[in-house]
Amino acid sequence: MSLFGGTIQSLENSLQYASVKNQTIANNIANVDTPNYKAKSVQFNNILNDELSKGFKTSRTDARHLDFSTESSAVRVTTNTSSTYNHNGNNVDVDKEMTDLAKNQIYYQALVDRINGKFSSLQSVIRGGN
Amino acid sequence: MSIFNAINTSGSGLTAQRLRMDTISSNIANADTTRATMNENGEYEPYRRKMTVFGSKGQSFSSVLNQATTGSSSAGNGVKVSDIVEDDEPFQLVYNPNHPDANEEGYVEIPNVDPLQEMVDMMSATRSYEANVTALNASKTMLMKALEIGK
Repeated sequence: MSLFGGTIQSLENSLQYASVKNQTIANNIANVDTPNYKAKSVQFNNILNDELSKGFKTSRTDARHLDFSTESSAVRVTTNTSSTYNHNGNNVDVDKEMTDLAKNQIYYQALVDRINGKFSSLQSVIRGGN
Repeated sequence: MSIFNAINTSGSGLTAQRLRMDTISSNIANADTTRATMNENGEYEPYRRKMTVFGSKGQSFSSVLNQATTGSSSAGNGVKVSDIVEDDEPFQLVYNPNHPDANEEGYVEIPNVDPLQEMVDMMSATRSYEANVTALNASKTMLMKALEIGK
């Protein structure tokens, strides 16, 4: 087992996801009055990865399928073109975006807290409990 | 992709909404301007209502190609004001024979600005601006938190 284990990798992937999600939300809010703009969302498969990597092998038959390997970036931005929320073809729901923004912010802070906790426990081990 | 991408995106939203606000202010300020431009006959024309047209930034060739091949799009780079257009609605005629710009029948052409419409537009611009400020603050807090990693 390596010094850092799998936790840091998982946390890093999650931070990456939260960062891309934040950019996507910011972009959706910036384009709230743009005619025919369609809202983007972020897909994340880290939890699925963790479960899948334990058991069976998977293969991709199309480039658009989510990648099952843990090393590659597990974040994917998709555009929802199926709906229209506004009369000008725009489908950004500001209420949803603002709640997502608040959730994502807390999620990110929690991740940073956890990654710091991981580092401090490692440091505690290195110092022999001192 | 820069770490400040989200902040730049919100910044572009702020710029666009402020320009929209400037246009609305100009419309309200010129709601009674009868001598805004001079036409080819040497006659004054009233002020025409102006509107901003928004477009999404980052519709570059590479991003469109990437979306077509992988089905995944980028987070986007914000919004831009692609154009400022003039409203083609006809001018209103108001009977005011004492006005210096009145025609032979005593009617004056006044700008095609509807103050009610401008007020509604202004509220929308204000709210969108506020939403962008909130998003910008959220990005800022997240970046500051990221600096605490490993402290």
